[in-house]
Amino acid sequence: MSLRQKLLLFFSLTVAAAVAAVTWTVLVRIRHVFEERDRQETALFVSQFQREFQHRSEEVAAAIDRLANSEQARVMAYKIARTGDTAPYLTTAQTMAQNAQLDFLEIVGANGDVISSAQWPARFGYPEPAVNHASKTPFLKRENLPDGSTALGLFAVRGIAGTPAIRLIGGLRLDRSFLAELPVAPGMTVGLYSDAGSGANSASASFDATRLVGATGPVHGAAAYRKLIEKARASGQQATGVVYPGSLPQDSVTATVIPLKNRAGAVLAVLTVAIARAGMISAQQHIRAAAYGIAAVGILLAIALSLWITARVSRPIEQLARAAEEVAGGNWDVSVPQTGRDEISVMARSFNHMTRELVSQRERLVQSERVAAWRELARRLAHELKNPLFPLQLTVENLVRAKGLPEADFDEVFSESTTTLSAEIANLKAIIARFSDFSKMPRPELQRIEAKDVVERVRTLYERANQDGRIRFETQVSDVSMPLNADPELLHRALSNLVLNAMDAMPDGGTLTISACPKGDKVELCVSDTGKGLTPEECERLFTPYYTTKQYGTGLGLAIVQSVVADHAGTIAVESREGGGATFVITLPKAES
Amino acid sequence: MLRRVAISCLLAALALPAAARTRPHYGGTLSVEVMGNPLANPGGLARRLIFEGLTTLDSEGAVQPDLAVDWRSSEMDHRWQFTLRSGVRFQDGSRLTAAAVVNSLDHSCRKNCPWSDVQAAGSDVIFTSGSPMPHLPALLAAGEFLITLTKGVNGLPPRNPVGTGPFKFTSNAKGVVTLAAYGDCWQGRPFVDSVEIRGHRSIANQWLDLNVGRADVVQVPPEMLSQARQQQLTVAVSPPVTLVALELSTAGALANPKLRAAIAAAVGRGALFNVIFQKQGDLTAALLPQQLTGYAFLFSTKQNLSKAIALRGSIQPPLLRLAAEGHGAMQLAAQRIVLNLREAGFRVQMVAGDPYHADMILRGLPLAGNNPAAVMERLLLSAGQSQAVTADSPAALYRVEKGVLDRHTIVPLLDLPRAWAISGRVRNLSLRADGMPNLADTWLENAP
Repeated sequence: MSLRQKLLLFFSLTVAAAVAAVTWTVLVRIRHVFEERDRQETALFVSQFQREFQHRSEEVAAAIDRLANSEQARVMAYKIARTGDTAPYLTTAQTMAQNAQLDFLEIVGANGDVISSAQWPARFGYPEPAVNHASKTPFLKRENLPDGSTALGLFAVRGIAGTPAIRLIGGLRLDRSFLAELPVAPGMTVGLYSDAGSGANSASASFDATRLVGATGPVHGAAAYRKLIEKARASGQQATGVVYPGSLPQDSVTATVIPLKNRAGAVLAVLTVAIARAGMISAQQHIRAAAYGIAAVGILLAIALSLWITARVSRPIEQLARAAEEVAGGNWDVSVPQTGRDEISVMARSFNHMTRELVSQRERLVQSERVAAWRELARRLAHELKNPLFPLQLTVENLVRAKGLPEADFDEVFSESTTTLSAEIANLKAIIARFSDFSKMPRPELQRIEAKDVVERVRTLYERANQDGRIRFETQVSDVSMPLNADPELLHRALSNLVLNAMDAMPDGGTLTISACPKGDKVELCVSDTGKGLTPEECERLFTPYYTTKQYGTGLGLAIVQSVVADHAGTIAVESREGGGATFVITLPKAES
Repeated sequence: MLRRVAISCLLAALALPAAARTRPHYGGTLSVEVMGNPLANPGGLARRLIFEGLTTLDSEGAVQPDLAVDWRSSEMDHRWQFTLRSGVRFQDGSRLTAAAVVNSLDHSCRKNCPWSDVQAAGSDVIFTSGSPMPHLPALLAAGEFLITLTKGVNGLPPRNPVGTGPFKFTSNAKGVVTLAAYGDCWQGRPFVDSVEIRGHRSIANQWLDLNVGRADVVQVPPEMLSQARQQQLTVAVSPPVTLVALELSTAGALANPKLRAAIAAAVGRGALFNVIFQKQGDLTAALLPQQLTGYAFLFSTKQNLSKAIALRGSIQPPLLRLAAEGHGAMQLAAQRIVLNLREAGFRVQMVAGDPYHADMILRGLPLAGNNPAAVMERLLLSAGQSQAVTADSPAALYRVEKGVLDRHTIVPLLDLPRAWAISGRVRNLSLRADGMPNLADTWLENAP
């Protein structure tokens, strides 16, 4: 990652983190504020609900009291007590309930059976167990209705004056109309969930969303209240949570559920108080939008800042890096702009100074190497020429001394001397020819050949020359085709040089192995001997022209091999360890089929 | 002597107005109020005043000639020939012909008829059927088979109902059906000039109107008879003319006869009789009333919940739908039956609207007539179970009735009368065999 990218990332992350931290803090604070407000509103509503509930209880108790003390009830109770005939009063409860504006009213006989029922007239003769456990205070009760449904009501029980064994049990329905009368703050909705079942089974009854009704009808998204309501029904305790009646977060509400219990403590219904979170969500969304805007502006500023800083700091460094890569690639003649007097400029000046010094030193090194090469060439030439010159000098001096000898002796000496002179001169010519050959390596004439043929040709040639048999020849050639685009004569000459070197390396005999094998898209030609091997230093200098480890070598053989291999776009390497022989590996590209 | 003559004259003078009150005289408008539709087929009161049948039942329930003066059966009651009364005219002036009778019967009885074919032959109407029709004259007295004019003089159906009865249709406005006396009625002109029948009127309002003089004849449901008497109303009560019964479907959830038997055993008639119908009528588990057959007591009216539960066994039928015809006590009785059935382990729900899609219907079936077999046949026909009842002895009739009851498709509950409260100015109000008021012979005391 570049410095520019690092700077950009650093500044962006810094800005984003700072904005995120501030936003989070504000959002949390807002949520706390809204939650606190919701808590206060809910608590206020609950207290108002309790007051309204108490007020209704008093209303119910008063209405039942009035009915129980009414002339109509007293006469009825007296006649029932006197005659035992309850049939004439089948519809009395309906009339009394209508007059007293009660939703529920039943006249219950001394045996606990219903005499007359306003809400379910056909229920006469059936027991009404609620009257047996009645107290003075009103209570919640779930009332079964003829259509199979149930209704939640606030009930009171009173004995009829004069005949207390005959009782009235009646009350008001807690339903939508009751909810509609509750003082509800803006944004708050209340609902009432009443179970379909009865008694202890109600808590275990499955949740039915249609039974949650509000003041104006079914509660929107009632199914979302399921967990909270089931929690309140199971625990009998008030519970609060966030409910999502719709798919949008704005639809969510902070809901508080309040269980409504009967005298036995069983939960008969659950009052839900929901306060819309739309205000909080809206505020949070505004803050988030502002935060995104600030973050975007901050990141843009960070980009601009990072670009400016990189223009000041990273660009010279990048230029330096590119110049260093040029130098590493061999182009030392590079320089970087140097402006200003800061550390980057000092570094640029130092770099430019360094490249100038490197160029200068390279030129000096080339010159010194050139001089050294000429010296080596002169030394080699002198050494090579000195050997045949010494016999020539001795032969000439011998001829001078033989001048005084008798003619027959002179002729013999002369003949021997001319023979020697011719031989040495021929030797001199050979030396000169080898140097000439090295300086005049021909350009390869490429053609498609098989590596196997090259190997076989070299082996055949030198196996015949090894007449004493002290060296054993082996070839290891792969069966697959190994085509090469090569000059067969030059390649033969290079391999021959390697084979000759290998034979020279084994004066006491050994095994010479020539091999050819494919290596991917290349072909490896190897020449191995079992001689004394080479030292690491010898391996390093082996391909240097005029370097030789042999007493009478010119040091040009391996240089010629390397030249041939290089002309064929190949490489040559040597693997050896002292006393373990040496292996020369020529790697050439395989010809395309 | 003179003193005696003077006293006699004085007494005669005092008795003259009273005698004048008992003499029938014409005129006046009779106001009647009913709970249902006066023109409803077949039980509408107005229909009974506008139309007549080939036969009719007298106050004792015996079959009497009406538009037909004579009838005879042949081919083992497979063929009946009715001779029409001559000189009868419809209220639009057209003559009553055999063809008009055939058209009317074809129009009113399109399916489930007691006969398979009806033909006109001169002034005779001939009924034929593949099965015997032993009680066809009694059946033709039923409200379903009253003769109406289906084609007027122009060959088109008349816009208003036209019959041969003592009153002709005048108007139907604001819930009041107005009928005028038909002067050319073959039975003679009725005493009152017109009858106004206000329909769909609640009992409370009917009684209120009666008390303030806005109505002359109002309905008294059986369960309110005691109340009417307590209020010193003049009440005309018929013998039991309606069998309140629970009809059970033989299809769907109640195809299993054991379930029907369980339902029959679960129903508590006592509560219906004692409380809901205020001890009016008779408790019964028989199709025909005790006074008609003498053996109705053999059918037990006891509720047997344990038997019902045992019969139901482990069968858990789906939710059963119970409908009830009528208002007030009938609806309450249906609610009570729902409670009974729930006790027996049934899941039952009352339904409103079309009762023919219910599994059970609580309804009233007609009991008019003095021939038990004819009454039973008429009752079964009303229940949609067309069956010729041929029984020449009470024992045979009992076997037929038991066979019907053992199918548990009709669960008899109560025999109820029909009652009417009348104002003080109404005179000579008699009730027909089916409990409907016979207004043709009624006159008003203070009529002009």
